[in-house]
Amino acid sequence: MNCPRLKDWLEERYDWEPVKRLAKSKLIPEHRYDLWYYTGGITLFLFILQFVTGMLLSMYYIPHIDFAHKSIIEIVTKLNMGWFFRSLHHWGAQLCIVFLFIHLFGTLLLKAYRKPRELVWVTGFILLGISIFFGLSGYLLIWDERAFAAVRVATGGAGAFPFIGWFIKAFLRGSMDVTGDTLVRFYAFHVAILPIVSLGLIGLHLFLVQVHGMSVPLSLEKEKSREIPFFPNVFYKDLAVWLVVLGVLVTLAVHLPPEIGVKADPLAPPPENVKPEWYFLFLLQTLKLFPGSILGLNGETIAILLVSCAILFFFLIPFFDQKSARGEKSPLFTWISVIYLLYFLTMTVVGYLS
Amino acid sequence: MRGIKRWWVPAVSFLLMNAASAQAAEPIKVFPETTFDAFIIYESLAIFWLAILSLIVIIRMKLREIERIQEMGAEQEDKDAPLLQ
Repeated sequence: MNCPRLKDWLEERYDWEPVKRLAKSKLIPEHRYDLWYYTGGITLFLFILQFVTGMLLSMYYIPHIDFAHKSIIEIVTKLNMGWFFRSLHHWGAQLCIVFLFIHLFGTLLLKAYRKPRELVWVTGFILLGISIFFGLSGYLLIWDERAFAAVRVATGGAGAFPFIGWFIKAFLRGSMDVTGDTLVRFYAFHVAILPIVSLGLIGLHLFLVQVHGMSVPLSLEKEKSREIPFFPNVFYKDLAVWLVVLGVLVTLAVHLPPEIGVKADPLAPPPENVKPEWYFLFLLQTLKLFPGSILGLNGETIAILLVSCAILFFFLIPFFDQKSARGEKSPLFTWISVIYLLYFLTMTVVGYLS
Repeated sequence: MRGIKRWWVPAVSFLLMNAASAQAAEPIKVFPETTFDAFIIYESLAIFWLAILSLIVIIRMKLREIERIQEMGAEQEDKDAPLLQ
């Protein structure tokens, strides 16, 4: 598509030569681990898809306890292609979090967080937290008995956090229990607060990536690796990968549309074997490892405190790993990363199978 | 007559309750039910994958062409080239 008149019209008004020069000068290193670079692009693509499908769904969804469940049934059963867009949104969220974790552990194992990219890690880590909260808040919007019970457990768990737990619980629920207030609150988080925050953070994350350039693993830093221009070489490769991801997403959406359970009843007993979304399973399994009471203290509180400390340490790894910052090999942090990865995978599988 | 009345009232109410609970427990259809609709959807999915694969082939061809030009150095700007106006 070539529009010379439009191009001239724009060039007369705006000097975009620096942008064109930047696009041409941006180089991407080519090496045996460069496959990991694509995971960030895939996550961004899935984020964009989530925004588009979410906007379509929000046109028909009603955030009220009497109508929320019914409006989703109407989206799925009465709207043309409604079932497809809901399924696409559901599977898009699952894949987005899968790729976020792959991107995170890839960054961790390749030490791409090391100086001077600490803030890239920090913004990415916060984005993962936001995405998980996106998942939790979206899960409740269906207002069926499973979502209701899972959110009650999740917000109750947050309440066991010492000192500020009661505040987090009350802030999330908006009342004593999971009620219509919680639904409205989660809807506001899901469609307004979290999208704005995540848009800002994605912008900052991408800007920092442009400032620092792509990280090369320590083991390959001394080797003279070939560099290829981002535009058009890597851009075309990105496009091809995105197309495959889109194909997989659409196939999942068609073959495995998510079910809708019975409408939530706050007075009814919770259904048996309620499980949270898969990315909370490692947390649930960890909590199960602890007894009800340890040395007279509440076991759940101790478990949540320990898990929080482990997550905080994970978040601060770039600041603790001084060897990597100096450009030296740091096997200790490689082992720590492997242990984190294995623990997360094992606990998720055990939680899924139990 | 009284004996019959004694058992049919609970029996009918049991049946009605059962029917109501069966209706409530029936899963909500999250995928178009008719065979024709399902056929159209799967057919569209197959065409969609064909389109994706074709696009990937086109992108690959385009990329090879770009790499060939880059290897020749033909995309580099020649600063001494005469300006034609």
